[in-house]
Amino acid sequence: MYKVLPKTDLPKLIGRWMEQATVYAPVRQGDFTKFEPLSDPAQADLYYAANTRYPPKSLFLPQSEVMFRVKDGEFESTEDEVSSRVILGIHSCDTRALQLLDGVFLTGDYQDPYWAKKREQTTLVVLGCADPCETCFCTSVGSGPFDKRGADVMLIDIGDEYVADVRNEKGQALFGHLPDASRKQIDKSRQVQAAAAAGMKKPFETEGIKDKLYSLFDSDFWPKIQQSCLGCGACTFLCPTCYCFDIVDEAQRNERVRNWDTCMFRIYSQEASGHNPRPTNTERVRQRIMHKYAYFVELYDEIGCTGCGRCVRYCPVDLDIRQIIRSAQAWEES
Amino acid sequence: MNQLTFAIRQEAARILEENVVDVVIGFEVGTLPLKAQPAFITRKEEAEKLVYNGFCQNNLAAYLTRRPKEERIGIICRGCESRAVRALVIEHQHDRDKLYLIGVPCTGIIDWRKIEREVGENTLQAVEEGDEVIVTTRDGEHRFQRVDVLHDSCKRCLHPNPVGADIVLGDPLPEGDPERAWAPVLEFEALPPEERYAYFVQEAERCIRCYACREACPMCYCTECFVDHTTPRWAESMITPSGTQAWHIIRAFHQTGRCVSCGACERACPMDIKMTYLVDKLSYDMVQQYGFEVGASDEEQPPFAAFTLDDRNRFVR
Amino acid sequence: MHNPYKPIPMRIARTVVETDDQSLKSFELVFEREADREKFFAKYRPGQFCQLSIFGKGEAPFGVASAAWEGDFVRFTINKIGVFTRAIHKMKSGDAISMRGPLGNGFPIEDWKGSNILIIGGGYAFTTLFALAQHLLAPEIRSQYNDLTVIYGAREPGLFLYKEEIETWYKRDDINLYQAIDRPVEGWSHFVGYVPTVTKEIAPSAENTVSFVCGPPVMIKFTLPVLDELGFPPERIYTSLEKRMKCGIGKCGRCNVGHKYICKDGPVFTFAELRELPADL
Repeated sequence: MYKVLPKTDLPKLIGRWMEQATVYAPVRQGDFTKFEPLSDPAQADLYYAANTRYPPKSLFLPQSEVMFRVKDGEFESTEDEVSSRVILGIHSCDTRALQLLDGVFLTGDYQDPYWAKKREQTTLVVLGCADPCETCFCTSVGSGPFDKRGADVMLIDIGDEYVADVRNEKGQALFGHLPDASRKQIDKSRQVQAAAAAGMKKPFETEGIKDKLYSLFDSDFWPKIQQSCLGCGACTFLCPTCYCFDIVDEAQRNERVRNWDTCMFRIYSQEASGHNPRPTNTERVRQRIMHKYAYFVELYDEIGCTGCGRCVRYCPVDLDIRQIIRSAQAWEES
Repeated sequence: MNQLTFAIRQEAARILEENVVDVVIGFEVGTLPLKAQPAFITRKEEAEKLVYNGFCQNNLAAYLTRRPKEERIGIICRGCESRAVRALVIEHQHDRDKLYLIGVPCTGIIDWRKIEREVGENTLQAVEEGDEVIVTTRDGEHRFQRVDVLHDSCKRCLHPNPVGADIVLGDPLPEGDPERAWAPVLEFEALPPEERYAYFVQEAERCIRCYACREACPMCYCTECFVDHTTPRWAESMITPSGTQAWHIIRAFHQTGRCVSCGACERACPMDIKMTYLVDKLSYDMVQQYGFEVGASDEEQPPFAAFTLDDRNRFVR
Repeated sequence: MHNPYKPIPMRIARTVVETDDQSLKSFELVFEREADREKFFAKYRPGQFCQLSIFGKGEAPFGVASAAWEGDFVRFTINKIGVFTRAIHKMKSGDAISMRGPLGNGFPIEDWKGSNILIIGGGYAFTTLFALAQHLLAPEIRSQYNDLTVIYGAREPGLFLYKEEIETWYKRDDINLYQAIDRPVEGWSHFVGYVPTVTKEIAPSAENTVSFVCGPPVMIKFTLPVLDELGFPPERIYTSLEKRMKCGIGKCGRCNVGHKYICKDGPVFTFAELRELPADL
């Protein structure tokens, strides 16, 4: 179902949502935007070009999250402490990432109640990217700037209006009262979508990447490409699909918390005995890349990367994942 | 190609061919127009990949403690890198005999954030031409005065010339003006405490504990950083104010008399945190109170690291 | 929704110092709530592990070292090595502790009814194998399997675990027990030599036999070729893996070997399965 919303009416609409839910949108902070709960509809900055610096996965898997409050040895869990939320202006890559992470958190014998509850309580009003960045590569990893998977509503900017592609009941609750979009507006929105995807470069080929990476497991490829990597966590922390976490007791706070962790850190896999299965940066870089482009594919038949480009833009040494995959595909054992 | 790039390629090819070194650490063209990539050249034919320009934003000395111990390394050294090498040698982290320093007087690193703040996030091409930086984006060409888009640490650089290099390529540059260099420290210090604290809180608040600052720093080479120590834990693990603030304060203290003021930490930060002012103040105190400057001499220990057995403080014995 | 991260309250019922050097202690934990006990034993099979937690010291995974028929307790044998283990070593019977589990796949022993069972263990890694042997020795279970052979090596006699229980095995005729120490010691009447050598000497038949092998990496490394020579295909050699773990349920990402997670897909794997995975251990 297609609805239409004049851009000038957006603040009013946000205000309406704010009566019943916490509304998150990109809010400018200095030189970048970050998803924050709005206190005023005017704070929402939907014209952010590159993705928000800090990935919105944090709204579902906060960087530090209290799992339990501990009183007299009793563990009181916190997963129910979330109420209805709307996330406005999240891009397709970040939405796709949430969907990929549903595979991790919501499938198998155990479901993660913290993730599940937040997903359940959230409506995603996705904003398609009419103008993807130079560092974006969503179309190379099986997605696109207007990928609607995971969206409750997809907004398409057609100039003075948004065409809202309402995908389900959750979306209907927010947009159902708006007038239907005209044939002409819908056509315009299709043109915008096609043009955006067509304008994107394809930096690498993913055909056969899983098997290629498996074949390179013990190769000189990894020692060579890891040389410039500093072993910091910038790429993984900004990544919308990296989800590894550590569970830590903060005794003074009487809390058991989980914090984002990263396979790029030496202590990530360090065992109490002193043994470390990934003792050098080579194994750690290999793990990061293989998790996304081999193991994830093996498990979920999807690449565990959505092409958001954050790791490309903010790597301190310009170790570009597009270049790594391209080199891997081209690598021949000497 | 600029002259320095040409000279660096020649020298790199020579020392590889004459087996003076096993590897040359320099820069090559990056995938992003405003950033060069660190490069590790092991064969003389590959020396053609090397480039040198204002987009070379990393402190290459950070790689020295990551390389195999037995390796003989040639390294492109600007002022800050050469001072880091000295400091590392003094702290017994590297054997000077295994290093070959290709010195390059440095006119400063271009801050890609300053440029993208003006032109947006879709740079297609960037070149330096004399005192100008010409940036092409989807909207067309943008020209900047180099001096306007230098990284802040480079603007207050005191020693752009390499020290103790085996060869220096390019002409020496005038030294920086101490008065200008220390002005930001004094200005900040003059602010009322609540303003200073507010600034600190605001910067620390954005920290995501990725430790890019630590990893980009040539002097942060500890095998186990205090913040990674878990048996027992010495710092709160969370990204709460107490956790992140402790991280930045303690890291600054550990840099006292050791920081080479290269600004690599700030350039590495994915969250644009500007925190070098803390260490700059400590460096200023080192100069004022101990007359010590990192890299000024190739044997003097940092005051807080130096001790003798007849020290009047008992803790040494 | 069930919260799989939430520990249940337990109490230490008994502690036993296992080894002469005091480094290994067993802890028998009992359930504070009947419902938890029922849930645990409905799911538990040997080879599974639990996350024990002492708030403030964190959580750590330990293999279960007891069989269900032994009683209403769960036994863990713990080496004093890190923050958590040092803390638990100081605890006494009556103390409260928290637990999650059972976790992981465990030994798929039901798949091998009617077979001969060969258990080979070395040192501290004998814990879950002990649980397996004990499980098999229960009267109603023992009759479902053929020969049961246990080869168990330790550096010296004082380092064997579960000495009292194992002593009773010698008196039974439904278990072939071979204990070995590395170097001769006065008064030692059993085998002397490393586990691979002793295995070769005993030469258990591979016919209709499945083997379970746990021990230090070096023991595994040299035992595998012996089993191969004896005719054991890798599909019939099981082992249990260890890696740093946090969540224990395949979410936190840290214990992967290739696309498998040791906590969720393991810790028990056959060597045939491991051969298919990248060498990331």
